[in-house]
Amino acid sequence: MASIAAITPHFSTSGDRKTPNFRPQAHQTFIGLRKTTLENHPSLSQSLTLSNPPKPHKFQISAAKSSPKLTGRNLRVAIVGGGPAGGAAAETLAKGGIETYLIERKLDNCKPCGGAIPLCMVDEFDLPLDIIDRRVTKMKMISPSNVAVDVGRTLKPHEYIGMVRREVLDSYLRDRASESGATVINGLFLKLDLPQNTNDPYVLHYNGYNGNTGKVGEKRTLEVDAVIGADGANSRVAKSICAGEYDYAIAFQERIKIPDEKMAYYEDLAEMYVGDDVSPDFYGWVFPKCDHVAVGTGTVTHKGEIKKFQLATRLRAKEKIFGGKIIRVEAHPIPEHPRPRRLSGRVALVGDAAGYVTKCSGEGIYFAAKSGRMCAEAIVEGSENGKRMVEERDLRKYLEKWDKTYWPTYKVLDILQKVFYRSNPAKEAFVEMCADDYVQKMTFDSYLYKRVVPGSPLEDLKLAVNTIGSLVRANALRREMDKINV
Amino acid sequence: MSMAALYSPSPIRTLPTFSAKPYFPHKPYLLYQSKKNLTLTLTRAVNLEEKPEKSEEALDDKSKIKEDSLDSNVVVGTTVLPKFEDSRWVGGTWDLKQFTEDGKTNWDSVIDAEVRRRKWLEDNPESSSNDAPVVFDTSIIPWWAWVKRFHLPEAELLNGRAAMIGFFMAYLVDSLTGVGLVDQMGNFFCKTLLFIAVVGVLLIRKNEDLENLKKLLDESTFYDKQWQATWQDDTPSNSKKD
Repeated sequence: MASIAAITPHFSTSGDRKTPNFRPQAHQTFIGLRKTTLENHPSLSQSLTLSNPPKPHKFQISAAKSSPKLTGRNLRVAIVGGGPAGGAAAETLAKGGIETYLIERKLDNCKPCGGAIPLCMVDEFDLPLDIIDRRVTKMKMISPSNVAVDVGRTLKPHEYIGMVRREVLDSYLRDRASESGATVINGLFLKLDLPQNTNDPYVLHYNGYNGNTGKVGEKRTLEVDAVIGADGANSRVAKSICAGEYDYAIAFQERIKIPDEKMAYYEDLAEMYVGDDVSPDFYGWVFPKCDHVAVGTGTVTHKGEIKKFQLATRLRAKEKIFGGKIIRVEAHPIPEHPRPRRLSGRVALVGDAAGYVTKCSGEGIYFAAKSGRMCAEAIVEGSENGKRMVEERDLRKYLEKWDKTYWPTYKVLDILQKVFYRSNPAKEAFVEMCADDYVQKMTFDSYLYKRVVPGSPLEDLKLAVNTIGSLVRANALRREMDKINV
Repeated sequence: MSMAALYSPSPIRTLPTFSAKPYFPHKPYLLYQSKKNLTLTLTRAVNLEEKPEKSEEALDDKSKIKEDSLDSNVVVGTTVLPKFEDSRWVGGTWDLKQFTEDGKTNWDSVIDAEVRRRKWLEDNPESSSNDAPVVFDTSIIPWWAWVKRFHLPEAELLNGRAAMIGFFMAYLVDSLTGVGLVDQMGNFFCKTLLFIAVVGVLLIRKNEDLENLKKLLDESTFYDKQWQATWQDDTPSNSKKD
C-alpha cells in the first residue's frame, strides 16, 4: 500500500541486464551480503557490483524454438487488474504487438495507498509532472521518546519524493496502454479455467460492466494464451493457480482535512513515527496528500490492535493535526513477502499479487509497475513480438531477471527491518542514525534512483561504528528502564 | 457507542526529584490501573475537543477490519494528559550544567534522568510538538561513561565465568592426561576447546540465549527461503537458485 520514502538505505542493481541468463555473478553479490555483518548496512554497497545505468531494453530473441508459430493471429494476453502493474504491463505488451486485454473492476478506484513514488519512476515510465500532487523534500523521523530528526538536507534542488493520487496515476497508465492498442475491459474477474492440453487457451470468466447501468454485470468469458495477475494483495488469479498464501500487514489510514495553517507545515514534509505505541513492527505516518493529510499506521503481528495503534499515532501527531476532520477511513493488506509460487504454466503474478512490497518502508508502487513491465517484456521476447506461443520457460525469465535485479534491495531492507524495528531501543537508535548526513545521502540515493553509489569506505566504517554505538546505548538504557518500576 | 475514556499515568515510585502531577479528567470516575493495563478508549462527552471529528465515514471494501466501534460522534482524547516535566529538561534536551558535581558532569545522573524520561514516555506517549522539539542525542554522553556503567560490570561477570571454567577444565584435562597447562596451550585440540569455551561464555549468558540464538539463525534465513519458494517446485531444467 504505502510507497513510503525509505529512510534506510536499500540497494539494488539497477537497469536491465543484457543477458537473460543467470550467471554466478549474482551468487557473488549474495555471498557478499552475507560477508558483512548486520550493522554495516551501507558498507554492503561495496560488495554489490553495480552496473551501468539503465539501458534501453535490448530484446534478445531467444524464444523457445519449439513453441509453435501462431497462425493468423497474434498472441493474446489478459492482464487482470488495472493498477500500476497492470497498466505498465499492458502498455509494454501492446507496444510489442500483442493482443492485450486489461480487466479492471473499478475504473475510478481510489486505492488506499501512501502514494509515494521515487524520482526514477517519473523518468522510467515517462510520467507527466502534473500527475504529482506534491513534492516531498523533507521528512521528520520521530522516535518513541519524541526525539525528532529532520531528514532531507542532502537532497539536491531537483530531487523529491512524488506524492500521487492513485486514481490519477492508475488511470493515466491505463489510458496510455489503451492508446498503445490494449483493450481495457471494465469487469470483475471471477475465475480462470486452466487449459487441459499444452497449447490450449486459458479461459477467463468475468462479470462485464461495459454498457451496463446496473451493478450486476453480465457473465462473459475471454480466451487468451497467457495471463498476468496484477490484481493486488487479494489476488484471485493467485488463488486460481494455487500460488499459496503470504504473511501480510494491515495498513490502516485516516484521511484528515486540517486547517490551512497546519497544512502549511506539511507543504513538502512527511512524518514518520516509530515506537511500540504506534506499531510494534512497522511505523505510523503523516503524509501530505493533495489537500489533506493521511495519518496511518500498520502492523503484521498485532492486527487486532490496529485501532489502538491508530489512536496512538493520532495522539503523537495531535498538536499538528489539531482541529482536523476525518474525511475517510481506509485500510488494506500489504504483502510482506512474495508468494510461494509466482508463476504457473503461462500465468504470472506481478506487483502486490506477487508480493513485491519491500519490508521496512512498505514501498510497492514502483516495484509493481516495474514488475509488470518486466513480465510483459519477457512475454514479448518469448513470443517474438506475438508471433509464437509462449511457454512457462519464457515467463520464468522474468522471475529470474526480477530476482537478480532486486533481490539485494529486498534483502537489505529486510535486514534493516529486523535490526531497527525490533524494539523501542532499536527504534531510538534508528532515529539517532538518521540524523547523520551520510546516512541521509545514501538513503535518498538508493531510494530515489534505485541504485547504489559506492560510498567511501572510511565513511562506511564510521557509520558502522556509530550504528553499533547507538544500538548499544539504546539497549543499555532499556535495561535500566526495566530495572525501575519492575 | 461511547466508551469511557481514561488515561492515567503510572505512579513512579522511586523518583524523588520527579514531580508527578496527574491531571484529573472531567469525568467523575477515574480508574487507576497498574502500568501493565493502560488502555486507551474513546469518549463522547468531553469538553475539550481535541481530536478530528468524523463528519463522514467511508470504509474501503477491501478492508478486513470490522468497523464496529467507530460511530459518527466519536471524539478522541480526554483531557490534558500529564506531560513529562523535569527541571533539568530544558529546551528539548538535558541541561548539562544542572548535572555538575565538583565541577565535572555527573554522567551517571544524566543517564538516570534519560532512563526515567524514556520510561515515562513509554508508559504515557506524548504528542510530538514543533514548539518544543526534542533534540537530545545519547551520543553527547561520552563513551567512557557508558563503558564504565554498562560494559564493565558485565565484562567482569563474563571474565569471572571464563576464568572459573578455564581453571576447572585445565585441572580436569591435566588430571586425565597429565598434560600441564603450558603444554595444553600448545595442543591444537585444547586450543579448540578453549575457543569453544570462550565463544560459549560470550554468546550464552542467560538460559534463554540458547533459544534466542536458534531463533536468530532461523530468522536470518527465513526471508531468503520465502523468495526462493517459487523456484523449489521446478522442473529440473529450471532449478536455479538465487
